[in-house]
Parts: sequence; structure tokens; C-alpha cells
Amino acid sequence: MRLVLERRAETPWTLNLLSPLLAVGLTLASAVLVFLAMGQDPWQALWVYFLMPLSDSWGLQEVAVKATPLVLIAVGLALCYRSNNCNIGAEGQFLLGAIAGGGLAVAMHGADAGRWLLPAMLGVGALAGAAWAMVPALLKTRFGVNEILTSLMLVYVAQLLLDWLVRGPWRDPDGFNMPHTVVFGAEATVPLLLEGGRLNLGTPIMLAVVVLGAVLLGRTLKGFEITLVGEAPRAARFAGFDEKRLTWTVFAITGALAGLAGVLEAAGTVRQLQPDLSPGYGFTAIIVAFLGRLNPLGCLVAGVFLAITFIGGENAQIMLQMPLDVTRVFQGLLLFYVLACDTLLLYRPRLLRRSGA
Amino acid sequence: MLLLEAILLTVIVASTPLLLAAIGELVVERSGVLNLGVEGMMIMGAAVGIVAAITTGSSALGVAAAVAAGMAMAAIFGALTLGLAANQVAAGLALSIFGIGLSGVVGAGSVGVPREGIGQIALPLLSDIPFIGHVLFRQDPFVYASFALVAGVSWFLWRTRAGLVLRACGENPASAHALGYLVLRIRFLAVLFGGACAGLAGAYLSLVMTPFWSSGMTAGRGWIALAIVVFASWLPWRAALGAYLFGGVTILQLHAQGAGVPLPTQLLAALPYLITILVLVLIMALRRGGGGGPQSLGTPFVPDR
Amino acid sequence: MTLSRRHLMTGAAALAGSAALPGPAAAQDRANVGMILIGPVGDFGWSHMHDQGRRRMLEVLGDRVTSNLVESVAPPDFDRVATQLIRTGARLIFTTSFSYFAPTQRLAPRHPNVFFENATGPATLPNMAVYNARFYEGRYVQGVIAARKSRSKQIGYVATFPVPEVIHAINTVMRGAWSVDPSMRIRVVWVNAWSNPGREAEAARALIDQGCDVLCSHTDGPAPLQLAEQRGIHGFGQASDMTRFAPNAHLTSSVNSWGDYYAARARAVLEGNWQASDTWGGLGSGMFSLAPFTNMTPEQASEAERIRDALANGTLHAFDGPIIRQDGTPVIPAGQRLTDDQIRAMNYFYQGIDVAMP
Repeated sequence: MRLVLERRAETPWTLNLLSPLLAVGLTLASAVLVFLAMGQDPWQALWVYFLMPLSDSWGLQEVAVKATPLVLIAVGLALCYRSNNCNIGAEGQFLLGAIAGGGLAVAMHGADAGRWLLPAMLGVGALAGAAWAMVPALLKTRFGVNEILTSLMLVYVAQLLLDWLVRGPWRDPDGFNMPHTVVFGAEATVPLLLEGGRLNLGTPIMLAVVVLGAVLLGRTLKGFEITLVGEAPRAARFAGFDEKRLTWTVFAITGALAGLAGVLEAAGTVRQLQPDLSPGYGFTAIIVAFLGRLNPLGCLVAGVFLAITFIGGENAQIMLQMPLDVTRVFQGLLLFYVLACDTLLLYRPRLLRRSGA
Repeated sequence: MLLLEAILLTVIVASTPLLLAAIGELVVERSGVLNLGVEGMMIMGAAVGIVAAITTGSSALGVAAAVAAGMAMAAIFGALTLGLAANQVAAGLALSIFGIGLSGVVGAGSVGVPREGIGQIALPLLSDIPFIGHVLFRQDPFVYASFALVAGVSWFLWRTRAGLVLRACGENPASAHALGYLVLRIRFLAVLFGGACAGLAGAYLSLVMTPFWSSGMTAGRGWIALAIVVFASWLPWRAALGAYLFGGVTILQLHAQGAGVPLPTQLLAALPYLITILVLVLIMALRRGGGGGPQSLGTPFVPDR
Repeated sequence: MTLSRRHLMTGAAALAGSAALPGPAAAQDRANVGMILIGPVGDFGWSHMHDQGRRRMLEVLGDRVTSNLVESVAPPDFDRVATQLIRTGARLIFTTSFSYFAPTQRLAPRHPNVFFENATGPATLPNMAVYNARFYEGRYVQGVIAARKSRSKQIGYVATFPVPEVIHAINTVMRGAWSVDPSMRIRVVWVNAWSNPGREAEAARALIDQGCDVLCSHTDGPAPLQLAEQRGIHGFGQASDMTRFAPNAHLTSSVNSWGDYYAARARAVLEGNWQASDTWGGLGSGMFSLAPFTNMTPEQASEAERIRDALANGTLHAFDGPIIRQDGTPVIPAGQRLTDDQIRAMNYFYQGIDVAMP
């Protein structure tokens, strides 16, 4: 007996629902096993992991705060990946956005800046992210240098640049020479939206980006071009689309969105620049992009899902005394299931009796 | 000992785990599969390797266990991406998260347990060659293994029929399938080989370089190995060049700091990354294109029946 | 099973009406203590030793105290994790990184009934204490020993990041070394990480190859010490007693032991007399200690013990004047002593250290 896959002519709509449900079912089944093995009450563990983050307004706001940078970056990455540009350096573009936007906040600290400061920070952050992303894009189109290497290497360079800035020129003069900038002033802080939580303006911005991304991909010529270049590059060339320009465009968009996410994070949740600004959002967003099937709305769903698993992992550490590593194993398993079940959408699995090739 | 000799010895130690993992990933990618989970497989190799060595008291068993752990991780990845045609990039990243977590679980009981490292073996005759012999042939077994792997993989890919078939799977799986080759099986074997090499690289960290377990001790080396494969344009000899270049600049910047070079440490620490980019740009500019990756890299293949 | 779901719900409900919680000064039977770590428990260094301290606290106080721990929390996640700890009933929270100082300072006023303790911030609030250990005292002893053991007269220092804590440690090692032999020199390599064993080993190799024969390290792991053992030189352990990692190279280790402090602070919460304090404990405080002196002559060991005891009982100070910066600018003249805030913010090397300040 062996498993073979048959490509589906079209995906029945029921499967779009069934696949995530199956993934959840499998997750629940193995979660029950894992938790039983660890001597935990499986139902309580499941509640802590998946439902508690959603059980009140504060929790929901936290999910939104955690998902916002992931989704923002992932929407940009989706455009990149659709057009066969393998940008894995969004983390660096995120940091550059934080550096540029945060740098402006530091420069204007104490000056009576007024209401334009935050919009300016967001703009500068997006530009800086885009500029950082243009390096691999230009090296790719000009010299044929593979963007996997350049975008990844530039992540480390960005981390070191941030490190140097906050220890050197931008260090808080009253901060006992610790590696961080001043805490941003009120006009350089992303405003909170609700009482009793940390939901800030970043989330509506992210939602707007999701809608814009969906419109761009689904309703515009540019969107068609992106998809066509990715799926049928030869046909795209035949249609007169300029692949180089498209590479620049998608890298710039991705970088800008990652940069925007970076400055929103710096000016929203952290409110100062410091070396550990990102818990790897730029890398996690890659998973979000693919789990969301490179579709902006899908990225939104996947981003929220991943945010829940991160917060659930923290809750499990607190309430079940489960070590961080176990929560990571669990998160990994969960992703495996989701990816495996996704197969159902495109293929029909069949068990065959062994009969040669 | 001459300072240059000492520096070269350190460079080889620093580069070997990168090279081992990169050679494995190179074969995987040549077969058309992109496994971004090198970090996860490597750290599982590190954890399982040291834990097995401590438990059994045998470094050889530790290495074997590390290789097996890398392969087991690779098998999960293979089952997902080949058996179920799941997305390779996402599956690789998920594998990294899973591996980092599982290695912590495996290693938890061995935090703070010391163990004798695996030492150097001087090769007879060869090690007596002045300078070169000292640098290349008074090394630990992993270094010799990395030399052998570079030569062996190079020979396999270009001098054997099996290697040709493997490359065909990466370039045009449909044709390879039409010719009667079992594309998925070949890719799966390649993925397992990649896992074995990553496991070996992990064992190098936890059994040779710094013989103990500490959470997250691979510290991103799996990612650098991935970049080296790209740097190498998927050629084994150039993977060695890339690994030694990266390791070399890393060690030189540490020496520069020790010698008191008055530059920001962050700039010095960024040099390996910047120089790798620069050298690759130079190579590409001089060679005018060429050297692209396997045509079907990262695309799932599902045979039509 | 420690908590039922209903219990969790009441935890959340209690937050909504936090007036129902006992006020800051009331004694109580039980307390829940939270801890937030910047790294993984398995780092075998800073975070590992804080967790060890937490375990010690649980041992000392028995079932009067329960405790929850969250590992590897990045600063953007800090607010949520701390709030979640509070919602689950934490009355005292240890936030064990200076990266958490500003976020803790922001959070504390919003939760006046919860006590916060930040390592290693510089300022307190009514419900936020700060604590650290004067690890530099151990560095002084290391300097003395290094000067006795070194033949090449060069100490190698595997450093993490150029923060004041590390900078004053390097200065103090040299002050200790110069007290024995003014010709001592130091070489410093920054690895730009708190824990990256491979890089630490590479840095140690570079330092040894450049002629250093005693290694100090500020990184968490035993890697530099293992290298010292391999190459037949000497070194010091960091965070825990690392004798077993290098039986022939190990001279002494600086051993973090937070347990008694944690137990005392949790007890203060139980007894209702917790005060926001700024604790900076030296060798006499028990917050850290030096592992037994090994691989040295009895005379060298007794000298090291004498210096250690003098530092512990306050007859010897590591920051007595005159203190002169690398570039020759005087900081304080003889007869004066640096204030704690001056030590905390130190961002210059002493005159005589010929390493550029990064």
C-alpha cells in the first residue's frame, strides 16, 4: 500500500472549510496525547492554549497587537513570492524601518514637533524599509546575484547597525549608558485605540493594507502581472511585462510594508529603539505568507492564527508550567498539520496497492 | 606556532560546521527541494549528539545519533513536502521552530554537564608536511569528513549516473519521471542526506567545538549554511570556498578586535556578511550571469499517473 | 494540575476588581511569584541562574509560594507576559533584564498592588525595586589571580556587549591585575552576543593565539574555559561553578546565587513589609560568590582569599580614586570613591588599557 496524490481539477468549496477543520482536529488529537503524556489535563491545556487568548477584550487586543506586524510583512512577502522573488530578509527591512522612524523620533525628542511627527515617522520608516529591500533587488537585476543570500545577509547587517546606533550616537543621555534610545514622546507614539489594552492605530493600518493588497492582486493589471510573472514567466515576457521593473516594484512594496511594521512596533509597543526590538517577526511572517497561500486575506487569517499560537505558548508557560521548548514543539506540530491538510485542497490522496512505479 | 598557522586552524574549525551543513543542503537543492529547516536539523543534531554521547559514554555513538536525528528531522520534512506536496518554504521554517523546541526538550537534562571533546587525529606522513600538513592534516575527524564530502559530492553529482539523475530531478522532474525515474524517491533520499549532513554539523558544535549543551547553540549557523549554498551557485567546491571565506572573515575580525583595531565592533562583526555579498557580486559581475539555481528548485512535483 | 479553569477565570475576574486584592502592606498566607527571563533556561548562564534562584526560593518558602516562569521574552512581548502573570495572580514579579527596565517602569504604576523587581535597572518606583550584584568585586579578584598566573602578562577578555556592566568589569580586572603587576595588559574581543558558544570559542582561540594566557569571559557558557583547558592555559568561569569543565585550567568562577534574595523578597511580600529598594549586593551579600580557588599555589590562593574577604567586608574598594580615563582626563582624585551611579554608567576605559573603546 502506498499513498499517491492526484491533482484536482478544481477545489470543491467544502474542502476550503474541511482542510482547516481537519488540521484542527489532528492538532487536538495530538495535543490530547502530548498533554496526557505530560500529565496535564488535556481540555484545560487546550483551553489555555487556544481559547484563553480570545476570551476577553484584553486578550483579543493582544492577539491583534501580535498579529499586526506579522500580517503587514506577510502581505508584502506574498507579492514577492508570487512573482518568484525569494526575499527572506524582511526582518532586516523591518529593522531599517524602525531605525529610520525611530531615528526621527529621537532627533525630534524634546522639540515641539506637533502632530505631523508620527505620520512623518511612518513615511520615513516605510521608505527606509523599501530602500533596504532595493539592495537585493538591484543586485539581482543588475548582476544576477541571488536574492536569498543578499536579503538574508542584510538582516544581520541591519541588526548590527541598530546595535551600533543605540549604543553610540542615539543612546539615551540619561539612560546610564545602557543600549537604548530615549523613550519616545507622546507625539511620536502610535495612539492607543481602546481602554484597558494595547490595541493601537497599527491594526487598522494593517487591515487597510490587507484590503489594498487584495484589491491590487485581484482587481488590477499590476496584480495580474505579478501573478503571471510568477506562474508563467515566458508568457509574461511575451505580454510585454518588464520583469526587472516588477522585481523592483515588489521588493520596494515588501520593504515598505516591513519598514512600516518596524516603525509601528518601535513607536507602538516598545516606544524606544533597543537591540532586541524584534522577536523575529520578519522570519515568522514568511510562514504567515505561505500559510495564507500568498493571498492578503489568507495572510490575515494565518497571522491571527500564528499570533494565537505564540500567545497560547506564553499562557501555557504561565498556567501549565510548560517549558518554552514544549510550546515550540507544539507550535511546530501545529504548522505541520496545517501544511499537510492544505494538500487536500490541491490534491486527492489515494491509497494504492503497490504496483511498481 | 606561527600566528598565520594558528589563524588558519581556527578558520577551519569555524568553517567546518557551515561547510558540512551547506554540502548537505546543496545536494537537497540540486534535487529540486528547498529545505529552509537546516537550523532545526542542525540543532537537533547538536542536542541528540551530546545527550547520546553523555548517556552512552561514546563520542562515536553520539555522532551516529546526531546523524540519525538530522535524518529523522529531514524525514518529517520529506514526508510533508514530497509525500504531501506541502509548501517547502513554510515546511522548512516550521521544521526550524520544531527543531529548536525539541532540541531544548532533549537537552534539558544535560545543561551544565561536561564532556570530553573529540580531539585531533594527525594523519601519518601528510601531517609532517611543513605548514600545510600542520594546518590541514592535524585536524579532528569532522574536518576530514568535510573534505571527503566536498570531493565525494562533487564526484557523485558530475561523474556518476545517479548524480546526473538527481540533478535532472532538480532541473526538470517531469522529464526525469517520463524517463522512468522515481523523482519523489530520489528527492527523498537527497533530503535525508541533507539531514544527515546537518546533523553532523550539529554534532561538530556540541562534541568538538564546544563540548556541552546550551539552548540555541547553533546561533543561526544553519541560515549561513543556506546562504553559502547560494553563494556557491550550487557547486560543491565553491561551497567550500564560501564557508572558508565566511569563517575566515569571522575569525579575522575577532583577531582585529583582539589587536585593538579602532573600529566599531558592530562594523567588524558585519564584515563577514558584507564581504560575502561583495565577493558574490564580483563573481557574478565577472562571469556575466550564469550559475543559476536548479530550474525546479522549491516547486513541488506530483507525478501524473 | 495546579490550576483549574475556574481558578483562572477568577484570576481574570479579580483583575477587573483589583480593589478586592489585599493592599500592598497587608500580610498574606500565600503568594504567587512571576519571573520573566530574557533568554532560555537552558542557556546555562544568566537566565539559568535566575531560574535556579527561583527554585531555591520555592524550596525555602515551601508551599506558601507558587511560581510561574516565562522564558525568552522579547521586549515587545513583555507587557503582555507581565500582564498575564498579574491576571493569573502574581503578587511579585522579577523581570530579569535591563531590557525590561523601561517596560517595567511603564507597567508598575498601572498595577499598584503588584510588586516588581527589575534586574538590573537604575531607578525605583513605590512598587518597583531594582537589584543587581557587584560582580565587579569578583573581577578584581580575577585580576589579582591573573597577574599571578600569567607569564605573557596578557589577559584575554571575551566580552559580550559594550554596556557599563561589562566596561567596569574590564576596568576592575585590570585594577586588580595592576595591584600585583603594573605591566599587565589586556586584549578584548566583543562577540556581540550573551550566549553563542561557538563564537565564544573562536574569540577565545583568537585571544590565545595573540598571546593571552589567562582568559576572563563575560559570556554565559563554559566555552572559553574549555579552550583554556585544551590549550594548557588558565581561565575563569562565569555564572556558575565551572570547575568540572576545565579541571586543569579553572582558577575560580563567579557564581550567581539569587535564591536567598528571591526568598527574602517573597517573604517580605508574605509578611506585608515589602519595600521598594535598590539592592546592589557585593561579595558579602551572598548574591554571588567565588567558587573555590583551584590550580594555584597555596600562597596564591590565600592571597586571593584575603583580597576577596577585604572586598567583602569593605576594607578594600574597587573604585577608589585616583581614576583617570584612557585619554588622560581625571575622573576623581585620590581619596575619593566613585558613586554607585557613576559605576553604573561607566563608559570609559582606565588609563593604561590600550584597547579602543568600541
